[in-house]
Amino acid sequence: MSVIRTDDLRKSYGDVAALDGLSLSVESGELYGLLGPNGAGKTTTMSVLTGQIVADSGEAAVLGVDPESEPVGVRERVGILPEKESPPSFSTPREYFQFVGAVRGMADETVDERTETWADRLSFAEKLDTLSTDLSRGQQQKTMIAGAFLHEPEVVFIDEPLANLDPIVQERVKRFLTNYREAGNTVVVSTHNVDVAAELCSRVGIVNAGELVAEIVPSELGEDETLLDVFIEHVDDEEAWTGDE
Amino acid sequence: MMSDGASAASEQPSRWERDKVVFREMLREEWRLHSELLGGGRFGAFPLLVVALVAGAVWLLDVTGTDPGAVVAGMHALALVFGLHTGSIGFIGRDAVGNVLGDVTLLVFSGRTLPLSQGRLLAIFVLKDVVYYAALFLLPMAVGVAPAALAGAGIGLAAVPLLWVTLVTTFVLGIGITIAGVGLSATGLPGRALLFVLLGGGAAAWYTGVPVLSYTPYGVYQEPSFVSAAAAAALILAAYAVGAATFDPQVQSTDRSVGPDFRRWLARVDDPVAAKTLLDVHRSSGGFGKVLFSAAILLGVTAGLVDLAAEITGVAPSVGVSFGAVLGLTGFTTYNWLTTNDDVERYLAQPLDAEAVFHGKLRAFLLLGPAVGLAFYAVGVAWRGTPLAEAVVGAVVLVGVATYVFGLTIYLAGLSPNEFLFDTGLYAAFGAAVAIPLVPILVVAFALAPVSVGLLAALGVGSAVLGAVGMGLYRRSLPKWGAYHRE
Repeated sequence: MSVIRTDDLRKSYGDVAALDGLSLSVESGELYGLLGPNGAGKTTTMSVLTGQIVADSGEAAVLGVDPESEPVGVRERVGILPEKESPPSFSTPREYFQFVGAVRGMADETVDERTETWADRLSFAEKLDTLSTDLSRGQQQKTMIAGAFLHEPEVVFIDEPLANLDPIVQERVKRFLTNYREAGNTVVVSTHNVDVAAELCSRVGIVNAGELVAEIVPSELGEDETLLDVFIEHVDDEEAWTGDE
Repeated sequence: MMSDGASAASEQPSRWERDKVVFREMLREEWRLHSELLGGGRFGAFPLLVVALVAGAVWLLDVTGTDPGAVVAGMHALALVFGLHTGSIGFIGRDAVGNVLGDVTLLVFSGRTLPLSQGRLLAIFVLKDVVYYAALFLLPMAVGVAPAALAGAGIGLAAVPLLWVTLVTTFVLGIGITIAGVGLSATGLPGRALLFVLLGGGAAAWYTGVPVLSYTPYGVYQEPSFVSAAAAAALILAAYAVGAATFDPQVQSTDRSVGPDFRRWLARVDDPVAAKTLLDVHRSSGGFGKVLFSAAILLGVTAGLVDLAAEITGVAPSVGVSFGAVLGLTGFTTYNWLTTNDDVERYLAQPLDAEAVFHGKLRAFLLLGPAVGLAFYAVGVAWRGTPLAEAVVGAVVLVGVATYVFGLTIYLAGLSPNEFLFDTGLYAAFGAAVAIPLVPILVVAFALAPVSVGLLAALGVGSAVLGAVGMGLYRRSLPKWGAYHRE
């Protein structure tokens, strides 16, 4: 069953076309990777799907809800880890989770329980009562990841989830995402890291210049073929890659 | 290998060449920062607006018979405050900049990645600020006096160059005081105690009649001489010497742990955005004290205006109405503090839309704004005294003006009232829209005191209407900002 669908999405910023007719479909229970170079349109796609911005034209639906006409309705049902976003400077991680819980109508006991679970999972229990402005980038990223999953949504959009995390925490996040998907939830990961996409995703959509140019199931790639090869084939300028003039 | 290393070393630019490059790039960065905020063309017109505003103000004050010396003193006070503020942007840190301007990285913070010492970077940063603002802000201020000087307003045209020099040096002194203040504050209790003693000593000297201003650049303007120039130079050098001895740009703040207060505050205000907003104000630098400080400045300004008006007209103004009208401007300052730490985009990962965010800001404002304004109003009324009826109507005027200013600010600038600092067109529109209701109220307060019962009733009704207009502007702005933040 398709839980996320876009059809011919277009979005421009001035003369720059961020999305140029992007169409895709994500099935329930997938860990879908949006893979592309910088500026390909990945973050714009996520922002349109979560109702944070409005597309110029085209259609989109998440869990059957139109994010353009019902942005809050979509965000009630999904989790979002935005790119480059950090928790509020003058709140502690614990207070940020309480804020998220209050906005999402969660019971205090549930928020408290999940706060402890996430603090243990990502090893930041000792920082739960530290002002976010005093946290490292990695600790802030852990807080934002936990905030996106706190209400255990059936669909989650996460942008570069492993940024600023140490290798051990990266592995824990990868394992969690895989388990979360196996529990029947859907996760959309935006990344420009080919290795992350290959290792983590059940299906990868390659986005370039605002279009979906290919879809690959990493587990079905041949022995002599890598996701990097496919990626370069679809998005890379051969001359730039080889250094030829 | 040796020869490669020697070759590489010989290719390194000299320290002076590096400084020149950094200085040039910082100037370019400052210009682009302002241009980016509002479009280059409009920012280019900012000096012209300053000239026009100063020229108009000086002419108006001359017409009302105000001593030209008071005008010049006010300009120096403005330059000092501007220097204090400008310095704080660079010296308090990246968070302060981010809170005001969003996610930006300035060259002054690149000391760890470039072969430049942080101290040297900061010195160039100060020099850049002095050159930039001396040309774009302080020169237009000084030039703005010229039309009135030509018309024989009591300020000689020949004094304009000296005025510019003393305004620039006053600005330099302001930055120096910030560096020294931040440096002393960071050295712990002894440093803070010394800072307190210095500030307290200065205030005590002022009140006991010591000619403190004679030792400042303003003193040079009043009595240009080698002695006054040397005294002002010594004061500036002393401020920078204290700053150099105590200010450590590499100092890291320790982790600040605080108890979980969000739920307690949420239980009181019943809105997550409002609770978070008030916590932000409480925990950011200065706490709620900065809100009170802004209101205290307006109280002082009002007291000065009342004295000035009494001097000019020979009639004692209505304290209640005048204090209520001017303290209504706390609507702007309070709203500014409520919006410094976030923007709508910060909430869009949650099931909230722009309307919900603005609603939270409104609730926070209603809880904080009128209370602060009325508290200072009570101080003003108790201090100067006013008939009961005028006191009551003045309170109504305050709430009406504050609500109007709040709605107007949201209508024009959304959650970014700082744009008023840079956007000439927006600033002019805001100024005009505030002046339209405020000027008639002040005319009544200053020229028609004691205010008749009929006029008081009209002021009360008018202020209620003004407040309703403010709420109307707030409501009308919601669809606009909702669409804007989803573009």
